[in-house]
Amino acid sequence: MRYVARKGALFLITLWGAITLNFLLPRLMPGSPVDAALARLASSGVPITNAERQAVEIQLGSPHASLLSQYGDYLSGIVHLNFGSSYSFPTETVAQTIGKAAPWTLGLVGVTTIVAFIIGTLLGVYAGWRRGKPADTTVTLGATFLAAFPPFWLGLLLLYVLAFKLSLFPIKGGYNPGETPNLSPSFLADAVYHSILPAVTLAITTLSGWVFGMRNNMINTLGEDYVTFAEANGLRTRTIALLYAARNAILPNVTAFGLSLGAVVGGSVLVEGVFSYPGLGNLLYIAVSNHDFPLMQALFLVITVTMLVAIFVVDLLYVRLDPRVRQA
Amino acid sequence: MIERFRGRAKSTTLCAAAVALALVAASGCGNNSNTGGAGSGTLTIQGDSGNPTLVENFNPFQGSQLHGTNLIYEPLEIPSPIDGAYTPFLATGHKFTDPTTLVYTIRQGVKWSDGKDFTPADVVFSFNLLKKYPALDGKAVWQQITSVSASGNDVTMKFSAANVPFAISIAQTPIVPEHIWSALSDPVKDPNIKPVGTGPFTLDSFAPTQYSLKKNPTYWQADKIVPAEVLFPAQASNQSTNQLDVVSGKFDWSYNFLPDVKTTYVARDPAHNQYWFPPGGTIGLYLNLTKAPYSDVNFRTGLSLALNRTTIATKAVNGYLDQASMSGLILPNLKKWLDPSLPNQGNVTQDTSGAQAAFAQAGYASQGGKLMKGGRQATMTIVMPGNFSDWVAAAKEVVNQLGSIGINASLDLPQYAQYSQTIQAGTFDAAIGGFGGSGDPYTDYSLALSSSFATPVNTPTANNFERFKDTSVDTALATLASATDSSAQQQATYALEQVMYKKVPIVLMYYGGSWGLFSTKRFTGWPSAANPYTLPTSYNNSLLTVVTHLTKA
Repeated sequence: MRYVARKGALFLITLWGAITLNFLLPRLMPGSPVDAALARLASSGVPITNAERQAVEIQLGSPHASLLSQYGDYLSGIVHLNFGSSYSFPTETVAQTIGKAAPWTLGLVGVTTIVAFIIGTLLGVYAGWRRGKPADTTVTLGATFLAAFPPFWLGLLLLYVLAFKLSLFPIKGGYNPGETPNLSPSFLADAVYHSILPAVTLAITTLSGWVFGMRNNMINTLGEDYVTFAEANGLRTRTIALLYAARNAILPNVTAFGLSLGAVVGGSVLVEGVFSYPGLGNLLYIAVSNHDFPLMQALFLVITVTMLVAIFVVDLLYVRLDPRVRQA
Repeated sequence: MIERFRGRAKSTTLCAAAVALALVAASGCGNNSNTGGAGSGTLTIQGDSGNPTLVENFNPFQGSQLHGTNLIYEPLEIPSPIDGAYTPFLATGHKFTDPTTLVYTIRQGVKWSDGKDFTPADVVFSFNLLKKYPALDGKAVWQQITSVSASGNDVTMKFSAANVPFAISIAQTPIVPEHIWSALSDPVKDPNIKPVGTGPFTLDSFAPTQYSLKKNPTYWQADKIVPAEVLFPAQASNQSTNQLDVVSGKFDWSYNFLPDVKTTYVARDPAHNQYWFPPGGTIGLYLNLTKAPYSDVNFRTGLSLALNRTTIATKAVNGYLDQASMSGLILPNLKKWLDPSLPNQGNVTQDTSGAQAAFAQAGYASQGGKLMKGGRQATMTIVMPGNFSDWVAAAKEVVNQLGSIGINASLDLPQYAQYSQTIQAGTFDAAIGGFGGSGDPYTDYSLALSSSFATPVNTPTANNFERFKDTSVDTALATLASATDSSAQQQATYALEQVMYKKVPIVLMYYGGSWGLFSTKRFTGWPSAANPYTLPTSYNNSLLTVVTHLTKA
C-alpha cells in the first residue's frame, strides 16, 4: 500500500510539472499567433500591410496579459476541461477539434500498435527459440532491414507505387472527399480502405522493435537453470518455449507495450502527414505551424497525461507481475 | 503549406518530395491519367488547405475564408493583378470627380441569391460595416476614406487625402446583403455558413474535406457561366502528396509548383494539360539601410553589379522565369509604365569590374580575393524562412557569387515567424523578400519605399522594412496619389523607377512565378500567355474573373 501511495504522489508531482512545462514551452517559441496568421495570408499572395496586421491582431486578440495571469487562466481552464477556442479552427472549440481527430488516430495507430506487438513478439519468440539457426538469421536480418526504413520514406514509396502508379489505393485522406464521417457500413469500409497504406507503413516500421526485444529476452531466459531443468525433465519443446521461457521473457515487452499504447494518442506526425490522415499527429503539426497555443497546449496535455497514466498503470501492474517490486 | 509566387514552402519532407518527383519525372507519360475527374458540367479546382478538415467559413472579410467565397460574393470591380485593368462587377464603372471624391455607378437589375434586389444601399452598408468593425477592414479602407453615401445609382466615397490608386482596394471590397448582415450579432467571428451573395455560384454542400458550389440561376450575367457545379477538394499539408494529386489529373485547375513541368504534368496528357507560369511578384535582396555598409549607395550598386541574375533565376525557379528589372516593374506585365530612358529595360547584367569600381568608391579594396575596408572583410548574413526552398536556392547562389567577389556572406534560415519578426524589427543585415505584385505601380512602390512606413529599428513595420527614406520618392508618391490624368501618373512613375534603378534600395533579382496548371478536357478559356487577362491564382478573386471566361471544351 505504501508503494502505491508513493507512486501516486510521484504521479501527481510529475503531472503538475508536465502541465506547467506545457504552458511555458509554446510561449518560448519565437513568433506569435498573429505572425503565423499573417504568414498564412502572405502565402496566399496578399501583400501584408500594417493595416492588415492590426486587423488580424484585433481578430485574434493577441495575448497581452501577464504570464502569471495567463497561467492562472490556464490552470482553471484545465480543471474545467475548457481549452478555449483554436486559432486554426475558429468555428469550434479545441475539445471538439481534438474529439474529431482522436478516433482516427486511436483506430489507425492503436490497432497497428497492437497488431505489430503481437506479430513482432511471436516472431521474436520463434527467433529466440531457434537461436543461431537459419530461421533466426532470416527473422533477425529481415527485421533489421525493415527497421532501417524511415517511416515517412516507406510511406512515400508505398504511396507512389501502390496509390499513384497502380491506383490501388487513394492518395490521401481518411475517407472520400465529400463524405461526412458517420458510422454507416459503407463509410466504415471506405475508412478502412483509406487506412491500409498508413497502417502497413506503421506496422512494418514498428515491428522490428518487438522482434529484437523479445528475441534477446528469450535467449537470456533460455540460459536460466529452470529451463535446463525442464528440458532434463523431458517436457515437450513447445511447452518449454511458450510456458517456461516466453512467459517470463515477455515481461519487459509488456512494459514497453504499455508505454507505446500511451504514446498512441500522440499519433505519428510524419506518417499521418504523408498520407494526410485526419488524426492527432496531423493536427499537432498544424497547431505548431500556426502557433495555435490553445490547440497545441490541449494536444500536448492529452499526450502527456495519457503517457503519465500509462506509466502509472504499468507501475501498478508490475506489483502483480513481479513480487520483488513490492519490497523496493 | 501553399505554393505561392514568393516562395514555396515544403514542410516535413523536403528530400522525400524530391524523391517522389524524381520518380514521377522518370515515369514520364503514364496511361492512368485523368481517371478521377468529374462529370462534364463540373469544374474541379484544387481547393483550400484542409487539415485534418476544412474550416467552414464563408465570411468574405476574414482573410481565412474558403476560396470558393470568391465565387459567392462579388466586389464592385476587379483590377487585373497583371496590369491593373478593371473588369466591372457590381459597379459598371468609376470616376474621380476630384482627387478626393470617387464615384461608382452601381449596376441595376442584380439580385441576391435569396431573391431580394441588390441596391446601392447594400454597398454603403458593406463599407460602413468595415468602419464599425475594424477587424474586418483588412485593406484599411477607413484610413483613407471619411464617408460613403448613395444617391440614385451612384455611390460616392470621400477621401481624407488624395489617393487615386487606392481605388484598387476599394473596388475589391466584397459587397454583402444588408438585410442579412445587419442582423448578425458578431460579423467578425461569424463563419457565415449560409452565404447569400450576388455571385455566379451559391453554396451547395459542405463536407469536412470538400465543398461544392452550384450555379446561381439568377446571376446577372448567367449566360457567361458555363459550369453547373464547382468542386473544391481540400489540399493536404504535405506538398509531395499534393503534387501527386495534381499530376494524376484530378483537377481542371490547380495551383502548384512542379519541377520539370513539361515531363511531370504536360506529358501525362499532352492534348489537354497546359501550364502557365507568369511572373506574379519580384524576389529581391533587401538590405538594411540603417546599417553600414548597406547604407552606402555605392556598396549597394556594387552588390547589384556583382550578381548574375540569370543564374540565380535558373537555380531558384527552374528557369521558368527571368531575371527582374531593377526598375521595380514586373515585365512584361507593366511594360506600359516603363521609362524608355532606362537602359536595357532596367535589366542589370553582371559586371565584375563595374562592381569592383563601385566597391572602391564605398572605400573597399580587394586584397587577396577579399573585399577589405579598415582591415576587415565585408560580411553579410542573409535571412529567409528555411522552408521557402526557391528563396533558399537563390540565396545560396547569391552567397557563391558574393564570395567570388570577396564578400563573406552566410545564410540564416529560421522559421517564417522568426523571419518576419526579424525583418519587421529591422535587426537584419540582408533578407530575401517579395516585392510588388499588386498590378499597380503606386501600391508596389508605396509599400516598399514610402518613408511613412520606415519606423526606427526595433519598432516593427510590415512594409518598407529596409527602412528607405527619400524625399523625392515621397514627393513622387504624393504626385502619383493625386494624379488623375495618365501623363502625370506616367511621369511620377518614371521618377520612382529611376530611384529604384539608381539608388538600389532593394537588389531585385528574379520574378516569382504564379503556378497555374490547367486541363482543357472539360473547359477552355484559361488565362495564358496569349490571353493574359488575370494571374492563374486559384485562391483569390481571379477565380471570379476566370470563371466568367470559361467555355465548354
